[in-house]
Amino acid sequence: MELLPENQQEFFRSKAAAIAHPRELVIDALRAVQSHHGWVPDEGVTLVAALLGILPIEVEEVATFYDKIFRRPVGKRVIHVCDSICCWTREGEAIFTYLQEKLGIAPGETTTDGVFTLLPTCCLGACGDAPAMMIGLTTYGPLTPQRIDEILAQVRAEVSA
Amino acid sequence: MPTLTIDNQPVTVAEGTTIIQAAERLGLVIPHFCYHEALGAAGSCRLCAVRIEKGPLKGIQMACMIPAQDGMVVTTLDPEAVEFRAHVAEWAMTDHPHDCPVCDEGGECQLQEMTIAAGHGTRRFRGLKRTYPNQDLGPFIVQEMNRCIQCYRCVRTYRDYCGGTDYGTFGSRNRVAYGRVTAGRLASPFSGNIIDLCPTGVLTDKTFRFKCRSWDLQEAPSVCPHCSLGCNTLPGARYRELLRVKARVNRAVNGFFICDRGRFGHGYQNHPQRLREPHVDGESVSWNDALAAVHERISQTTEHHGHGTVAFLGSRRATLEANLLLGQWAAATGCTRTVYECHPEFDRIARTVAARLGDQRRSPGDIQRSDFILLIGAEPLAEAPVLALAIRQAKRNGARIVILDPRPPQLPCAFEHLPLTPEQLQLALEQLATKKFKGWTRDESTTLRNLGKDLTAAQNPVIIGAGALLGAAGIERLFDLVDASSPAARPCGVLVPLAGPNSYAAGLLSNGGPDFDDLLDAILNGMVKTLVCLETDPFEDYPQHGRAQSALAQLESLIVLDALPTQTTRHADIVLPTTVPVESDGCYINHEGRLQAFAKVLDPGLSVAVTGGGDHPPRIFEQSAPGNLPRPAWAILAEILKLPTETAALRQQLARTDNRFAALTQIHRAAEGEIVTAIGIPPRPQDDDGAVESSVPGSLQLWPIDTFGGADIFSTYSVHLDPLRDEPYILLADEDAKQRGLTDGAGAVLTSELGHLKVRVRCTATIPAGIAFLPHLLRGATAGFVPGGGALSCTLKSVEGEA
Ligand code: SF4
Ligand code: SF4
Ligand code: FES
Repeated sequence: MELLPENQQEFFRSKAAAIAHPRELVIDALRAVQSHHGWVPDEGVTLVAALLGILPIEVEEVATFYDKIFRRPVGKRVIHVCDSICCWTREGEAIFTYLQEKLGIAPGETTTDGVFTLLPTCCLGACGDAPAMMIGLTTYGPLTPQRIDEILAQVRAEVSA
Repeated sequence: MPTLTIDNQPVTVAEGTTIIQAAERLGLVIPHFCYHEALGAAGSCRLCAVRIEKGPLKGIQMACMIPAQDGMVVTTLDPEAVEFRAHVAEWAMTDHPHDCPVCDEGGECQLQEMTIAAGHGTRRFRGLKRTYPNQDLGPFIVQEMNRCIQCYRCVRTYRDYCGGTDYGTFGSRNRVAYGRVTAGRLASPFSGNIIDLCPTGVLTDKTFRFKCRSWDLQEAPSVCPHCSLGCNTLPGARYRELLRVKARVNRAVNGFFICDRGRFGHGYQNHPQRLREPHVDGESVSWNDALAAVHERISQTTEHHGHGTVAFLGSRRATLEANLLLGQWAAATGCTRTVYECHPEFDRIARTVAARLGDQRRSPGDIQRSDFILLIGAEPLAEAPVLALAIRQAKRNGARIVILDPRPPQLPCAFEHLPLTPEQLQLALEQLATKKFKGWTRDESTTLRNLGKDLTAAQNPVIIGAGALLGAAGIERLFDLVDASSPAARPCGVLVPLAGPNSYAAGLLSNGGPDFDDLLDAILNGMVKTLVCLETDPFEDYPQHGRAQSALAQLESLIVLDALPTQTTRHADIVLPTTVPVESDGCYINHEGRLQAFAKVLDPGLSVAVTGGGDHPPRIFEQSAPGNLPRPAWAILAEILKLPTETAALRQQLARTDNRFAALTQIHRAAEGEIVTAIGIPPRPQDDDGAVESSVPGSLQLWPIDTFGGADIFSTYSVHLDPLRDEPYILLADEDAKQRGLTDGAGAVLTSELGHLKVRVRCTATIPAGIAFLPHLLRGATAGFVPGGGALSCTLKSVEGEA
């Protein structure tokens, strides 16, 4: 599978050439690879390094720093469940357990149909909507088991559409 | 110069000194992990907490981050600071596997020391520990990531200090780990320094893994024998085997660092082919018989052929003591042909350096403070690796680095590079001195003219050049340029890496005497019948092997003192086995004239690993160890001369006989060595025959050069360094390769006066056309191509069907 379309590669190449510190673009380039390819394989790291003219290690340092850059295969949608304090005070743990049971997977795993990967995350900034989770770039909350059922069904439908 | 008070003691320090450094001046060690003198402060471990009672930032502060200020009052004993440090240590230890009993760092571990110093002794944390998979970092370094305390010293050492590009920090929060993007050998030639700098057992020496507990090691201050820099080392041995080498601090020379050649190139000491017994005519004999035979051959030669028919050859890797004694012995036999270096061009260079260096000498420590470094025909990474590290520090301090060299430079830092041919280097040296530029393209002359101006304008310039490409004539020109660039107010520095660890001494001792070419002539004319070789291999190290062979074959007797087999010991009539540097006391004089002493680490002998074949050693009880016959060359010579064979007394004698080396008597106490200020006698003027005969059309000008892994005999006898030695390759310009239908990585056959040689092609755009380079590997396939003998003409053809 292609890592990044040629026009996007060209975009990063020329932008990197035009700025003083091409390292600024590492996150953008990694996210571009991730949204196109689903996750960032080793070749994605070397590609970004080559596009920006920096060392592979400099890319890998950033890629591994952020838990929302995926260096291993993930499902079509990644569910991030908040495990920080506000959600915890509002039954966040129970919500996380419910999700694990519902999907039949442990944190870090992907459902057998390849749709969902379940991960904990630190605060999503959605404390007002605690307990909260994020799927893709959409935040959901306050969550209840029933609400979770609805959301999962809806996202599954979107994915298979 | 602020004066502050730490724990009620006043101390005055230089501006910019931090509290932790000021405390160190008082002998107070504030617990720390991430701070290191050479790396500076990172403020990342939070262990160095102290209380500032009086000063701009009151309260608990990190001692490594706060500059000392006048009137500041600091206490390290404040209960809150003490508790803070105890918590930080406890926290650092929460995930630690507590596996000290199986950790090679144990016993010399800063984590152990600082944890105790910080007051943490009992584990309270009962939770699960975070664990990591380890990464294979190649043959030199083992990683045990679980022991990490995230101090970032390894990355700061590897990337920032040494300029490595393949090691970094991964993850975040409590998942931070260190390593390469993919498993594999760390590519930096200075990789081993992370072993010394990591304060824990994460990064340890793989060549030393599980061999010995650190407290069981025999250790003694030593000097690296692998090049002319003379980095200070701390070798460790046990059971008659040299097991590892660590860096030893010498701020003037190597700071806290050594290169991987110096660190992992220790296998020569326990090499199975070590010469262990005296031999006469191929028969193993006792020392008494061997020395009697030496005496007999020498007196026979003198009786039959007259005085002066015995000649003596000293060496760049024998100790100063041994070389001096060789001279005394030669004088006693009436010899007028004592030579101290068998490579005439390197001999001339050493003599030039010993005669002209003077106050313009620069050490790697000085280089770091330079603001303008001009490298002409030098490849530090091969010729004096730690010099490359010093140049990098200068660059980090803002220096400008300019390289004139036909080879693609390997420096671990940014530089400006002008690829000139070796002939153009000579021209550039000459014209930068005279400031009259002729024979260049317009661009080139502008560049050179500006370079000349910048050299004059620099505050603290240094010029670095080496013999392999420049030759003796080039080094003369280099000194002329240094003189021309040295107004009285601001002398220009100079650094010339030499051929071996004691080359400078050889240059000084030659005293204007003959060189090895003269000696070979004398042998060929029948004027010399017996040759004594002191730890030198004229068969291999003299550039024209054929000439050396035919001359040395004329000798009636060849007497050789050496520790390892060489072509010369193979041809010898008498072989006297000597110790390697770690097995005796001795002194070397490094490239800048710095006399440095090293002490005996262990006695010679077959290691228990060998006598026991990996099992328990034989249960034989004897006074002496098997294989212990090798003796220090100086002790053998002293015995022959009936002089004291004990170091201190001998050094007294030597210092008295030759007052240039008066420092010998005190040298074992000099922490940074002692500069020998005596001025040597320059070589006789010689026709500049550096030019290469214009050659057959289609041929290339081939320059043998040194490489990181193969420049000295001790390295080539160290198997651990094998991964650093490439199969023979030729380095040439893209267009030259293309013309011959060759591409990068292709196999080719190189044909020269030395016959045919299979090589791999490496090409780049920056090499000037018509020139090629062949890395020399002593005892390897390219052994015949000795650097420093000028260029050869060669042709290159592709090998059909070979990738
Ligand atoms: S590996 Fe060693 S030097 Fe590097 S961060 Fe960990 S403890 Fe510090
Ligand atoms: S630079 Fe030279 S002296 Fe220093 S460690 Fe390396 S080989 Fe030894
Ligand atoms: S030594 Fe000061 S914070 Fe680490």
